[in-house]
Amino acid sequence: MFILKTLTIALLTVAICFQCAAQDQEFAKSLEHVATLIRDNRVVEAERQLASISRSAPNSPDVLNLMGTIRAKQNRLNEAEALFLQVLRIEERFTPARMNLSYLYMVKREPDKALFQLKEILRFDPSNAEAAQKLPEMMLAAGKFDECIGFIENLRKAGAVSPDLLVMLGDAYVAKGALPEAEPAYLLALEDRLDNAAALLGLAQISRLKGEMRETSIYLARVATLSADSNSPEFLYKFALLALRVGMVDQAKAALERSLKLRPDEPPFLLALGVAWLSRGDLFEAEKLFRRLIEIEPGNSLGQLHLGYVLLNQKKYRDARLWLEKSARSPNAIPEVFYYLGLVAQEQNDDAGAIPLFEKAVQKLPNYAHARIALGASYMKLRNYTRAREELETAVKLDPNEPKAHYNLALLYARLNDSARAQEEMKIVDSLKAKGGSADGVIVVPPVSPRP
Amino acid sequence: MIKIGVSFLLGLLALTSIAQRATRPAVRGPVTFEEVPTQASKINWTHNNAQSPDRQLPETVGAGCAFFDYDNDGWMDIYLVNSGPSDFYTPAVPLKNGLFRNNRDGTFTDVTDKAGVAGGRFGMGVGAADYDGDGNVDLYVTNYGPNILYRNNGNGTFTDVTDKAGVTAPGWSTCATWFDYDNDNKLDLFVSSFVFYDKSQNPLCTDATLQQRYYCVPRLFKPTPSYLYRNLGNGTFQDVSRESGIADHPGKSFGAVATDINNDGLLDLFVANDTMPNFLFLNKGKGKFEEIGLAAGVAYGESGRPRSGMGVDAADYDGDGWQDLFVANIDHEFFSLYHNERESIFTDQPGEIAPSTQLLSGWGLKFFDYDNDGDPDLFLVNGHPDDMIESRIPRVRHREPLLMFENTGRGFKDVSSQSGAVFAKMFSGRGMALGDFDNDGDSDVLASNNGEPPLLLRNQGGNRNNWIGLQLVATKSNPEAVGAVITWQTGAVKRSRLKIGGGSYLASHDPREILGVGTATKIDSIEIRWPSGKIDKLTNAPLNRYVKVVEGEGLASK
Repeated sequence: MFILKTLTIALLTVAICFQCAAQDQEFAKSLEHVATLIRDNRVVEAERQLASISRSAPNSPDVLNLMGTIRAKQNRLNEAEALFLQVLRIEERFTPARMNLSYLYMVKREPDKALFQLKEILRFDPSNAEAAQKLPEMMLAAGKFDECIGFIENLRKAGAVSPDLLVMLGDAYVAKGALPEAEPAYLLALEDRLDNAAALLGLAQISRLKGEMRETSIYLARVATLSADSNSPEFLYKFALLALRVGMVDQAKAALERSLKLRPDEPPFLLALGVAWLSRGDLFEAEKLFRRLIEIEPGNSLGQLHLGYVLLNQKKYRDARLWLEKSARSPNAIPEVFYYLGLVAQEQNDDAGAIPLFEKAVQKLPNYAHARIALGASYMKLRNYTRAREELETAVKLDPNEPKAHYNLALLYARLNDSARAQEEMKIVDSLKAKGGSADGVIVVPPVSPRP
Repeated sequence: MIKIGVSFLLGLLALTSIAQRATRPAVRGPVTFEEVPTQASKINWTHNNAQSPDRQLPETVGAGCAFFDYDNDGWMDIYLVNSGPSDFYTPAVPLKNGLFRNNRDGTFTDVTDKAGVAGGRFGMGVGAADYDGDGNVDLYVTNYGPNILYRNNGNGTFTDVTDKAGVTAPGWSTCATWFDYDNDNKLDLFVSSFVFYDKSQNPLCTDATLQQRYYCVPRLFKPTPSYLYRNLGNGTFQDVSRESGIADHPGKSFGAVATDINNDGLLDLFVANDTMPNFLFLNKGKGKFEEIGLAAGVAYGESGRPRSGMGVDAADYDGDGWQDLFVANIDHEFFSLYHNERESIFTDQPGEIAPSTQLLSGWGLKFFDYDNDGDPDLFLVNGHPDDMIESRIPRVRHREPLLMFENTGRGFKDVSSQSGAVFAKMFSGRGMALGDFDNDGDSDVLASNNGEPPLLLRNQGGNRNNWIGLQLVATKSNPEAVGAVITWQTGAVKRSRLKIGGGSYLASHDPREILGVGTATKIDSIEIRWPSGKIDKLTNAPLNRYVKVVEGEGLASK
């Protein structure tokens, strides 16, 4: 799951006013001004102002907290962390700094630390609604589904929980695959408000997982209407991912375009919109978005993978290989990257070079049917018909509805002079295509996010 | 025969003088193609595609063109095919195919009426060949409707002998390919058939956005078998479609090329199909063909989906001694360069051709040595069949650019942008014929455009490299010497070329073979292995001129 890489300072502003109530009016006013500048992304000016304020109170938690926020905005995350921690050493119960720290740790992909900070806030102040809301949200984002469920269920036992928390509960159950438990949570959230788009989105997700595509589309269509003017980029993004999965590409595109208006250049949004264009078959628009993503995050391995993928589909092999190799160097490289690298080699007639790459993909994901098909095709080109047959027959077992597997088997049987079996396989290919099988694209579209 | 010889000799003298006049620029630059405008060529002719609101499919498929020497004067004349009356179309004014005589000064004269080759049907393509071996090149015109065989009377006129010859090929014919499939030294005829069609078969293809009809994809129509006619040598042909195995495979066939994929001395047929698997008819001898497209790997795209094959050609582009194949498809399907891996297996290795053709739809195309460096390069004519495509698919255009690829020895390089201003223009390209219309020793191009005037392109600079042009005069083999293998050597460099039959789309080409030798100033040897099995060896052949080679006699004396 992606962590959106944007530190929000909305909470911080509220917290500053609250904390400053006891201080002198002028000082509080100055701090609020700095907070406004930060909010407006006028970071240089904010820092200058804060420097002049801090002369009178250099160790003020408010000042240090604001400075930490500025550093975070400047992507100087370690300095920001040090500043927030300094605040807490001065004043253990300074909630805004803990809240900021928890965000910071999420950005730094240190979810345990993030969760610790939120739990600390609730330890000092169990009534802190914001932390109570954020904690399960972060648990969910961090993949700690059981903790999230436990936390919300406990709240439920203690009394009514908000529809937002119920949706989160449903999401956690869905993530665990516990659909029967998830559904009532969403329905309960809808009891409070029938137009709860997040709950409807949850129900759409359940329908999709149950294979009820018609119901999924109905729910999603409703969500699309309700969220047309949504100002939550995260929600729009979540909707778009689901819409993409059920083929509602136009709705997904609209949601992602809106997300990007609300939060320009957010890498996951760029990636998902690129994938939406890919689903529309527009490699050129997709390429633009993936290139933009790489510009913002040069090391984004999924961005590199997708860029490599579109270039491969345009048969621009040299460039495709460049980006795919970069993606393959990531410690989290997914099997697809090796498959696509293999295709680059295969399409350039280097089957001997392609085979180890396909094998690596299969090693990482043994039921990767497309990689097996490609392996079979490469062995066939090298006239190793025994291995080709093994791989292709395995691929057919793994994905009997993949026309490409049957086509390659037909090709193999034809080369082995078994025209009857070749024709049988081609009949399967034709029937799968008539059913709208997946043979349209030469290469399968890579996932929008890494496999869990 | 004597008469032919004399007229050819006259042509030769003219050629020689042209060659001697030719200046050889000291400064080398890229070879370019220069558009010869109508005012200069005097070819005042426009294809009428008969486009109607009903969007009848034949409107968008034609038409073709040919370079051929109808009057045996040694200069390539031009034939252009037009639409005409049909079950769905009645022209407001009579439409005619066009025969344009080469005036040897860069201009042409319309001699259609005098020659009697106006067609008068809904024309598609043309195949020119001397089918009866009388020394005069005849014309076979394919139509939506019955085809026409025009026998060249040798006096500037032609006679329609279709019925007598028995080559009507009813239905919707596209490409005509002359070749000798049974090695009996007579030219046989393969006629590609497209879909089963009449005006009642035109479904409504539209969408809510356009609110207008567009041309239906051929997938919606039924396939029909193509024809193979065996030349009986008495002016008539026998329809051997069924017994040869050709008719066992109904297709939606466009381009066809006769070549020898397994070097067994029997000419095979590669046929492009639209929205159906392509056919590779392997000639098994004794008059039989076996369709091996699937096993050969040339029938489908990578995923097993048939593509929209249109133009085809064959050549040994990498000089390994085996014929490779090319097929152009519609946008987003990529064009395929099939490398011959021997044992009748091909792998698709388009290299740089693929990204350049991703959004294009290719029709006429030809491998030829545009810069006379000895290896085959590739020229492509493109255009989308749907005139409303721009409203339907982003980035795909109805009118499309020409493409030129240079053979680098390691693949093909897109050199379009440096090959002349015409490559920046857009056309509704269809047919493409190859021929040296100005006899300057490099191959020029004639492209026919759907609903537009044709495009005559003069090769500028191809003859800066040295060359020799061969006119093969068969005495025993088939009159066009289709299937002959020419091998030539300069120093350590030895090259070979098979004289194929057909290729491109709806078109017919200059039968002469220009052998490029680069900067070599001497050609050490030329060997012609005729289809009959005879071998002629030439030494001390002159460079930078056309010569006549007579089967069994070698270089003809002037």
